[in-house]
Amino acid sequence: MVIAVASGKGGTGKTTVAAHLAVASRKYQKPLLVDLDVEAPDASGYFPNAEIREPPVPINVLAPRLLEERCTGCGLCAKSCRFGAILAIGGVVTMDEGLCKGCGRCIGACPSSALVEIEVQVGVSSSMMDGALGILEGRLSVGDTRSTTVIEATKRRAGAIASEIQVRDCPPGVSCPATHAIEGADYVVLVAEPTQFSLHDLGAAISLVKGQGIPLGVVVNKDGFGKADVAAFCEAHGAPIVGRIAFLRARAESGAAAKLWTADDLFMREMDTILARAREDGQKTSRL
Amino acid sequence: MSTISVASGKGGAGKTSIAAAIVSTLGLGCVFADCDVDAANGAIALGSTLKDQEAYFAGPGFRIEADACIGCGRCAASCRFGAILRKPETSIYTIMTELCERCGACQDNCPTRAIVAYEKRAGTLFVSETRQGIPLVHAELVPGEDTSGKLVRKVRDRAEQIAEGNSHIVIDAPPGIACPVIASLSGVELVVIVVEASASGIRDAERLIELVGSMKRKAVAIINKTGLDDTMDRRARELIDRAAIALAGEIPFDRALRSTEESGGTWLSLDGDVGTRIKAAIRFVLTVIDGPSRERMNGGHPKGEDHEVRNSDR
Repeated sequence: MVIAVASGKGGTGKTTVAAHLAVASRKYQKPLLVDLDVEAPDASGYFPNAEIREPPVPINVLAPRLLEERCTGCGLCAKSCRFGAILAIGGVVTMDEGLCKGCGRCIGACPSSALVEIEVQVGVSSSMMDGALGILEGRLSVGDTRSTTVIEATKRRAGAIASEIQVRDCPPGVSCPATHAIEGADYVVLVAEPTQFSLHDLGAAISLVKGQGIPLGVVVNKDGFGKADVAAFCEAHGAPIVGRIAFLRARAESGAAAKLWTADDLFMREMDTILARAREDGQKTSRL
Repeated sequence: MSTISVASGKGGAGKTSIAAAIVSTLGLGCVFADCDVDAANGAIALGSTLKDQEAYFAGPGFRIEADACIGCGRCAASCRFGAILRKPETSIYTIMTELCERCGACQDNCPTRAIVAYEKRAGTLFVSETRQGIPLVHAELVPGEDTSGKLVRKVRDRAEQIAEGNSHIVIDAPPGIACPVIASLSGVELVVIVVEASASGIRDAERLIELVGSMKRKAVAIINKTGLDDTMDRRARELIDRAAIALAGEIPFDRALRSTEESGGTWLSLDGDVGTRIKAAIRFVLTVIDGPSRERMNGGHPKGEDHEVRNSDR
């Protein structure tokens, strides 16, 4: 069972909720927290005592290299590239590797075998253990744009672990990284806060999740912090509210320091409720 | 013309509110480019009226025509992204749009030409006017659509068209460090790095600072949400110090900031200590970009040491 924690707007409390849902899932077999916010991986920050059991695994992509002596400058490679990563001007071919997604189309397009592929590292995935809780983190190299490659590689590594529950911490937004991070989940928890900014972005996130046909529930974080009416918004968008976390200055303070709120009974009970609801609704839909 | 980009790494650090306050301070003559196309909130922050809009197309997507598919599987074998699967209990293949990167390799490899390209609106580009009469360029990506970096470029191009030679463009950048962020930072004169004084905020700012450094952009920092945890406040300052970035100011975590926004104001309308700190931080930012005697009306780009790195990065 895979539960993805996402939001639309950043900073609403995805990582906080994901980390604590993972803590609440310790009662299941081989619980795993998967950090797919690969541009800003912060979930492991909540588990400073987690042990790193093995060295980080590099995540590579195949990228083309030009063999200049074979290149005739025909420009068919540039024409084949949908990402603008290859330029052919006046018979001179140049490549911008930062834009390359490693699809390999240019290799097939080159009539003179002037392109070869080599492995290029785009990130790493790291595996940690905090007691019985496994933590798997994907991390994009700074300056690289291929977040989705890192997300998919981390998902594959997580998929090989036979856990009863996996909790994914997803990136903000509703474009490619978020789409890839929720893909394949059985249930999505959308974390919102009662502000106009958050509601606007929540609407986009709801349609993203519904578009993928995954059941979802909204958790209202920092409840009472702003005045925006999350309940009315969720009702209008057909999204159930499955949990509420009241705004307390003490929570903001310990949250800033990435300290777990496990001693906060009220909060942990709310996490149990959300987890139970996610398991129930998530199991109703069978996956492909 | 000079461009200021407000970025943070972590989401929810206060980028939009700070960008909106900078825009309000500059007033007429600047253009606000909301490049957080996944979650565009600039229009909410400053209140705005829509003036113009246009559809945004990102390039074609692909689908497999079931009638023409012979189930050979060459498409699936050619796909590097695992986006093509055989439909359960059939012999034909289908493309999972949420995994497809739209490279077109499958189309090249289909012997029966069963794979067709189709154009689909991927978003909308808007031009609005804020209550103050400042042009605001923003956009909305259709949820699940790809290529947000390309849409960011469109937003910036439109903002540059609107901006007159001597005006400022203020960019509200998306969170993260990948394509849409790089597109929001490339070629700008100044990056305002918003560091949230929290464990996550500091770690994410550290990665952003590395990116800004590799792109050779000039930067200043604002620490936001101070006063929650002394250690985090100290670490945020140490990070900025280590990176040799000027600190424009610190803004304490204060619920009054939220109420100000709810009543339709920007952070500038706040009185007292917090309001004073915000105004001072923004003055600092504008001094860095315009020089000590800020004469916006006489135009021209300040001939600073960052001038030679103005060329775009990609």
